[in-house]
Amino acid sequence: MRIFFGYFLLYFGAAFLFLGAFGLIRLPDLYTRMQASTKSTTLGAFSSVLGVGILMPHWFVKCLVVAFFILLTAPVSSSALMRAGYKTGVPFDKKRTVVNKGKEFFSEKKEKEEGK
Amino acid sequence: MIRKITYTIFLSIIVATLILFFVAFPFGKNKMGVGKYYLNNDIKQTGAANVVTAVTLDYRGLDTLGEVTVLFAAAAGVSILFYLIDQDKKKRERQVYPNFIVRVGSRIIFPFILLFGSYIFIHGHLTPGGGFQGGSIIASGFLLLYLAYPGERVNRKKLAVTEGLAGLTFVVFGAIGIFTGAHSFLFNFFPKGTLNMLFSAGILPILYIAIGFKVGSEFAGIIDDMMCQTVCGGEK
Repeated sequence: MRIFFGYFLLYFGAAFLFLGAFGLIRLPDLYTRMQASTKSTTLGAFSSVLGVGILMPHWFVKCLVVAFFILLTAPVSSSALMRAGYKTGVPFDKKRTVVNKGKEFFSEKKEKEEGK
Repeated sequence: MIRKITYTIFLSIIVATLILFFVAFPFGKNKMGVGKYYLNNDIKQTGAANVVTAVTLDYRGLDTLGEVTVLFAAAAGVSILFYLIDQDKKKRERQVYPNFIVRVGSRIIFPFILLFGSYIFIHGHLTPGGGFQGGSIIASGFLLLYLAYPGERVNRKKLAVTEGLAGLTFVVFGAIGIFTGAHSFLFNFFPKGTLNMLFSAGILPILYIAIGFKVGSEFAGIIDDMMCQTVCGGEK
């Protein structure tokens, strides 16, 4: 049971890593590519490291620490990258973009800051 | 055309020499005299499990002191250079400020980076890595804080005191060696302990801890100088 669960987590993570790499090639602009390459990579690395920890019980604590740091660092850095890209005006894919919530969000924030 | 021919001739000569060299000295065999000596006598003479540390701190400890001095001179040079630039150029304004997520995340991660860096330089005589690597990791933690909080600065006076004390520790422990045993600078006078334990290898861990503090504070000073080119809070 334990070995089955460990291998399941490993292959689950590998599948998500593959999807991330696939999305990096296929998606049209920076923002969608960032989403593919950071969200799915976080989950993929997280679950494959946990799978290794379950397969090798004497590494479990180490793997837990590694997984914790992946969860802590990867989303933070990806959000910072995405935000920097948006603020410096990296263009959207004009044909396929439907909603641009960031425009409202950042303009509201600016008004608030200027009001203060 | 003549140039191309000369290039080809020179390149083929270089490649031929390299191939002959690698054939004459196959990797991992036929160790040179000095390397053989270090590998055979390291554990007996220094008690360090990491042979690289034994070489850099024990057999060639004076060179390491010189390296640390070179690093100090480089940091001072960077500081002087940026001070001179500061005089005649206006500071550029920063456009993008970091958001909430980055600030909180870096505040959580910073102590772990410090812990990891100090682990690397405390275990320098047992595992790969040492004072220089650990110090660089600690300085990268400071860089993260600078990126997350652009208005804040480290206390340069405290950094300078740390750096000076660390350098003093290195020189004092070297000088004690003159008065004991072999009458030589940086003589390893402490008991060697058992191999692969934290308290082993005599004075090597102490020297590496001193180097770690010194390198960390020097790199943090360089990062402070560079970040102050764009945005700078507090007093100089």
